Amino acid sequence: MAKSDLTDELKAPAEPLLPIEKKLIGWSLGLGLVLLAVLLLLNWIVPLP
Amino acid sequence: MLSAAAFLLGDDVQRFAVRFTVAFAIAYGAWLLGNWAHFAAVTPAEEAKFGISWSFRLTNEGGFIVALLAGLVIANFFPAFAAWLKAAIRPELYIKIAIVILGAFIAVTVAGKLTLASSVMLRGVAAIVEAYLIYWPVVYLVARKGFGFSREWSAPLASGVSICGVAAAIATGGAIRARPQVPVLVSSLVVIFAVIEVLILPIIAQAFMAHEPLVAAAWMGLAVKTDGAAIAAGGITQSLIEAKAAAEGVHYQSGWILSVTATVKVFIDIFIGVWAFILAYVWTNYVNPRPGAPKAKAVEIWERFPKFILGFIVTFAIALALSLGAGTDASGRLTGAVGEVNLLRVIFFVLTFFSIGVMSDFRRLWQDGLGKLAAVYIVSLFGFVIWVGFVISWLFFAGIKPPLAS
Repeated sequence: MAKSDLTDELKAPAEPLLPIEKKLIGWSLGLGLVLLAVLLLLNWIVPLP
Repeated sequence: MLSAAAFLLGDDVQRFAVRFTVAFAIAYGAWLLGNWAHFAAVTPAEEAKFGISWSFRLTNEGGFIVALLAGLVIANFFPAFAAWLKAAIRPELYIKIAIVILGAFIAVTVAGKLTLASSVMLRGVAAIVEAYLIYWPVVYLVARKGFGFSREWSAPLASGVSICGVAAAIATGGAIRARPQVPVLVSSLVVIFAVIEVLILPIIAQAFMAHEPLVAAAWMGLAVKTDGAAIAAGGITQSLIEAKAAAEGVHYQSGWILSVTATVKVFIDIFIGVWAFILAYVWTNYVNPRPGAPKAKAVEIWERFPKFILGFIVTFAIALALSLGAGTDASGRLTGAVGEVNLLRVIFFVLTFFSIGVMSDFRRLWQDGLGKLAAVYIVSLFGFVIWVGFVISWLFFAGIKPPLAS
């Protein structure tokens, strides 16, 4: 990819977030935070010997 | 052996052999220089042993940094030579061989402390959640909304910053059917920033986390991108922290810090294929559905699975089984044998460091357009990834210490 091509591409107008992208971001973050909370709880309930 | 590997990878064997020999000589020379007593001696006793009055106290792992610097000098001041060496500059191949060897080393290290080792591994699950489900969506959002990048650029960039650098960026590029140049450009950024991280983070870890060695170890696995750089950073952190602890009279059993970093990284790597499949499914069905274009298939999970992990598991399992089944005598011999093989790991580490250096042409950052990509990387990595990585490492690993050397 030539430098000018890359520059033109990066200066192109932003694409709006699609609903599916919002879902992907939301579900990933939500699931991640819940799983981390569960793991922390397990970490607290079952401490290292 | 490496010529055979080059043949299997479809390279010109003669060209590889000649250039590898040159690369090896420079890398190993740099490693030897890094082991000079004025660089590597740590304790006053070592200084007295070598008859010197001062030392930079870099430990012998400082040899990796010298190899990295040698590569950086070649990449940035002798670009024609760097281009000539290119056929032998394969950091991903070298580090994956090193990781497979590391499997046996980790097994022998943890064999006597299986409870602690299994607890550490369970805590490694948090790293998977963090990389894929916390880092990725945040970095993707920053790239899309904060910097206005297209989806084609944002997804490989998010994977490069969040997961494990080059391999993840390339797997994601393939999954979302991006043009091949996109993950390649993202990968070049990943490597450059991994070099910066390797040079900075272990020193920060030694300064502020010497009393929490496994927090520092997990942090390296979570914060430093690309397998090679992360595990190398784990090795340097191990040396620096063990040296500082030794100066305070605490002698940790060596190998645990590197083992935790490697475990965290391998755990993260395992899910690259699954994550790439999820992205492929979303992209081919919802984001960019094209009539007649092939949809994501489950077989892609296996196709994108990093196969070196199988090698790691096999060497780990064999060495662990032998360790647990061996008597005291045989166990001692096994430890000695793994120690011998470990020398090979060190050689592949040296080659990895040197190769990363040769690939890190910092002038690329000044190229038009790459500056904006680099800005996303800087904001995400230094503004978010390394700090969240530190907090999560602290929450899961604080208070856990490596066993003391007997």
